[in-house]
Amino acid sequence: MIQLHAVSKSYQRGDLPVPVLKKISLHIKKGEFVAIMGPSGSGKSTLLNILGCLDAADSGMYKLAGKTIQTANEDELAKIRNRKIGFVFQSFNLIPRIDAEHNVELPMVYAGVPPAIRKKRALAALNILGLADRVSHVPAHLSGGQQQRVAIARAIVNDPEIIIADEPTGALDSQTSHEIMRIFLQLQASGKTIVMVTHEEEIGAYAQRIIRVRDGEIFNVPL
Amino acid sequence: MNAFQSSLIHDVFLQAIASLKENRLRTILSIMGITIGICAVMVVGTVSQGVKKYIYQELDTYGLESLWVYRKWENQDPFRSVREGSGIDNDDLKYIRSCCSSVKNVTPVVFSDENDITMRSKGTYTNVNLEGVGVHYADINNDTITQGRDFRLEDIQRRKAVAIIGTKIRDELFGPHSNPLRKSLRWGNVRLTIIGVLDVKNRDILSQLGTDDYDVNKRVLIPYTLYQQQLGSKDIHTLQAEAVSINETEKALDQLTEYLNRRHSFHYEYVTESMEGWITTAEDLLRNISFVGLIAALISLFVGGMGIMNIMSTSVVERTREIGIRKALGAYRRDILLQFLLESTVVSVIGGVLGMVLGIFVGFGISYLSGYDLGISWFTAALAVLVSIAVGMISGYYPAYRAASLKPVDALRYE
Ligand SMILES: Nc1ncnc2c1ncn2[C@@H]1O[C@H](COP(=O)(O)OP(=O)(O)OP(=O)(O)O)[C@@H](O)[C@H]1O
Ligand SMILES: [Mg+2]
Repeated sequence: MIQLHAVSKSYQRGDLPVPVLKKISLHIKKGEFVAIMGPSGSGKSTLLNILGCLDAADSGMYKLAGKTIQTANEDELAKIRNRKIGFVFQSFNLIPRIDAEHNVELPMVYAGVPPAIRKKRALAALNILGLADRVSHVPAHLSGGQQQRVAIARAIVNDPEIIIADEPTGALDSQTSHEIMRIFLQLQASGKTIVMVTHEEEIGAYAQRIIRVRDGEIFNVPL
Repeated sequence: MNAFQSSLIHDVFLQAIASLKENRLRTILSIMGITIGICAVMVVGTVSQGVKKYIYQELDTYGLESLWVYRKWENQDPFRSVREGSGIDNDDLKYIRSCCSSVKNVTPVVFSDENDITMRSKGTYTNVNLEGVGVHYADINNDTITQGRDFRLEDIQRRKAVAIIGTKIRDELFGPHSNPLRKSLRWGNVRLTIIGVLDVKNRDILSQLGTDDYDVNKRVLIPYTLYQQQLGSKDIHTLQAEAVSINETEKALDQLTEYLNRRHSFHYEYVTESMEGWITTAEDLLRNISFVGLIAALISLFVGGMGIMNIMSTSVVERTREIGIRKALGAYRRDILLQFLLESTVVSVIGGVLGMVLGIFVGFGISYLSGYDLGISWFTAALAVLVSIAVGMISGYYPAYRAASLKPVDALRYE
């Protein structure tokens, strides 16, 4: 499903380029649940953003679901993000002005789904996540766990193959974190490929496989 | 429009309203700028259209197809200047109809050089504008007779001592709303019987423009034959004619002068006048009014547009994260562009519609204060809305373009 070969990325700091990812290669199979772990600043988010087609690598090769990403243009990337990838963020990233249902509808708006079908599917997704009675709440009127569940509903509503989650439990208490992880396990059971960044070993333990990153390189031995 | 676009427009409209609420003060200021600009556009449109209507109404009191031919008196040629007479006589009238195909009607006008002609009824005196005319005079001048009747051919042929008077003459000699018919009017030792009263004519705007200082409502019309008899001459001072259509006035003038030149063997030189010059003057004037107004309108629209650009730029910065989210969820560059363009257009159209409504009220106000019913220029109203859409799109373009160009990863990282 995901094939990364010798992907590098550096940021410009002043005049010098600072390498953040150094020739990273990795392979994630369809249906896998992978956790990326490592110290702060090691490049986890940078890697995940590249995997999620939100950012482009400087060099290297990236194939996602058979498609070559490094040569895709802006609109092709937007379409891949829309159809193939669902995002879950640490800070939920819901649009504050609009209610849960309309947040969940957004990926379908950009997919060109007619309003009536959008509404039906958004309500169904929210229902699955136990938010049937919260559909017309704006994010500010929802708890952190509820907001993250709205975000997960939004991530899965276009039925993507991959879920990309950057510290999905980073802003949640431990009980809620475990609830979210149980949802992730269900998603995996339904056939989704999940790539998640986390700091917490406890959360990483839900994954089948842990990829450890340090200084922009993969270390598969725990430190 | 497909389902995607229509639902996007719906979403965008709600979002626009919401984000505008968040930036209330800036929004109100920008809307006001557009409102004032569009209001100015409306007022300019209403005033220029309304004034145009009035000016044309007033010009029409001469008959827009009217034309005048008279002898050029101040001639440089010493042999010609000594010639007597006006260069137009009664015999000319007989032939003009048959030779000048572009002339619909013609009337002789006889007047004297005397400035103050005084008439009297009982003990009351008044100054009048005395004109000796033919049967088609009222027709050509778009005059209507409100009381009594017009001249008949026999009045002219038999030199009857009858007169048609302007309303001011009636009011001054007989009192307002009185019936002066069959009453008599003393002109020197001639006793004229009043057979008709001319309807009031308005030349307020034209007289304010200084184009005409002669009071149309103080006319006294008598058969030109009678006037000629009193003056002891067969001269016709001016031929006033009506062309078959406005476009044929030049042709009618050419035909008339050609005829007169031939008939009088080029002994005289003629001056011709038509309404064209006046129409041009009026249109120049209107163009100047519109120009000044439109400059003012443009300035306020520009200020309003800058205001919109400013709120939209701020809005783009404040919503950087939202743009990142939308892009992560699959928004194309053009979706973001469209969203922000629509938002700025919503602001601008709100301003535009308010400006239009305000402009209509100001127009009514001006009508009320000036006493001229200017009406509403719906053409300008439609134009105003189009202009506000254009201002919204133009001023929203740069911020929208910046929003659309944000990279998703950068936008998402923005705090
Ligand atoms: N836009 C950027 N410009 C410059 N440097 C950046 C940028 N984004 C990330 N970096 C740098 O790249 C390095 C890796 O950042 P990244 O966000 O990938 O780390 P991380 O492993 O996700 O850390 P954390 O656990 O704190 O989230 C850091 O040193 C960071 O300062
Ligand atoms: Mg990170």
